Amino acid sequence: MTAPAERMSADNIKGELLAFAAKGGALVAGVADANAFGAAPEGHRPGDLLPGAKSVFVVGGAQPRAADWKSPHASFMETSSTSDRINALGLRVANQIERNYGYYALMVPAGVDRGRQPFVSVAFAAELAGCGSKSIAGPVLNRDHGFMYYSALITTLPLPADGPLEDPVCPAPACVDMWDEHGTTPCLATCPIDEGGCLGGCIKDGRITETRYDRARCTTRAQTYWAPGFQQALQATLEEKDDAKRRMIINSSGFTRTLWSMTYSNVSQGQCFECMRVCPVARPKHDLR
Amino acid sequence: MSFFFVDPEIYEKHKDDVLALSQSIQVNYPEHLPPDQRSPALSDRQIAERLGLDERTVREIRCVGEREYYDIEEYDRAAIFKETQCRAYAEKGLSGITAKYVERARAAKKD
Repeated sequence: MTAPAERMSADNIKGELLAFAAKGGALVAGVADANAFGAAPEGHRPGDLLPGAKSVFVVGGAQPRAADWKSPHASFMETSSTSDRINALGLRVANQIERNYGYYALMVPAGVDRGRQPFVSVAFAAELAGCGSKSIAGPVLNRDHGFMYYSALITTLPLPADGPLEDPVCPAPACVDMWDEHGTTPCLATCPIDEGGCLGGCIKDGRITETRYDRARCTTRAQTYWAPGFQQALQATLEEKDDAKRRMIINSSGFTRTLWSMTYSNVSQGQCFECMRVCPVARPKHDLR
Repeated sequence: MSFFFVDPEIYEKHKDDVLALSQSIQVNYPEHLPPDQRSPALSDRQIAERLGLDERTVREIRCVGEREYYDIEEYDRAAIFKETQCRAYAEKGLSGITAKYVERARAAKKD
């Protein structure tokens, strides 16, 4: 049984929580200072969600398997997101803090608020907790494991913060070389914003110095068959005057797939992985027999 | 009707401004960039103050505008994009994605 929180040091509690997270399947875990979110939009900082917040505990893991990245069937990864597993672990850590240490612990919901904004950016929390750094493509990359899912919980429990990495994971050395030679990187080449894609940016002296991201276009790719796709299909259906054509739309593969995805909404929100598929960070872990 | 939605005329009048200020296309948005280089989006409240609207109206304009930014054809192109990229990578690895840049660089060197 865990010792009462008042008789334990913050370092010891943090050690216990890190061990608990690792035992639960986290590949990485860390702590961000709840007051370090000044660069986040107003209303979307830890204290806005939980008054008196001191720390944000972040767990990462539940990666796609190496075989997932190898499959030539894009709709396979559209269908098989595992982000719910890391959220389940985040919730377990939150329960652990409340039950064993007697502090409030609020898991940041994986979804978005009424204005379709994240309650608190889990990606930013992961950065501030030293779990990885934000890539030029957007996702936070861990140096040893690459792309993964994160879950964050806000707590009134004061814990020593890890802070952001001093050396960013992105751009990887191979990407710097490619940038110097060809003026692009694997992820930017996959989805170039100036050629109908989502991503743009610039690297100088081995660091990301500029980024461009077409959020609306990324939505069409990452949520092709989810709520946004459904709204588009519904609009097309309502506008169609011809009964026969309307029937074709309603029963089309696209509309059906959208409805299917929505019924499994908790695990199918991320439906595009192409920028991450080509990322060289932790690439050797994808190369199996 | 008690369900709140934005007046279409107000939407059309302010849509472009709201989308620009909320950065539907984000330029230098990430938090890790140096503060003097960052250009984060304005919040709905900040946009409302600037445009003389209320926050709820701005939120609705932004949400509708983001959804309408690309039409249904773009969703179809998205599905094709993913199938093409995924298959190219499975068949040829990274060169399936980057070959055109290598060829461009070679052509530029020849010129």
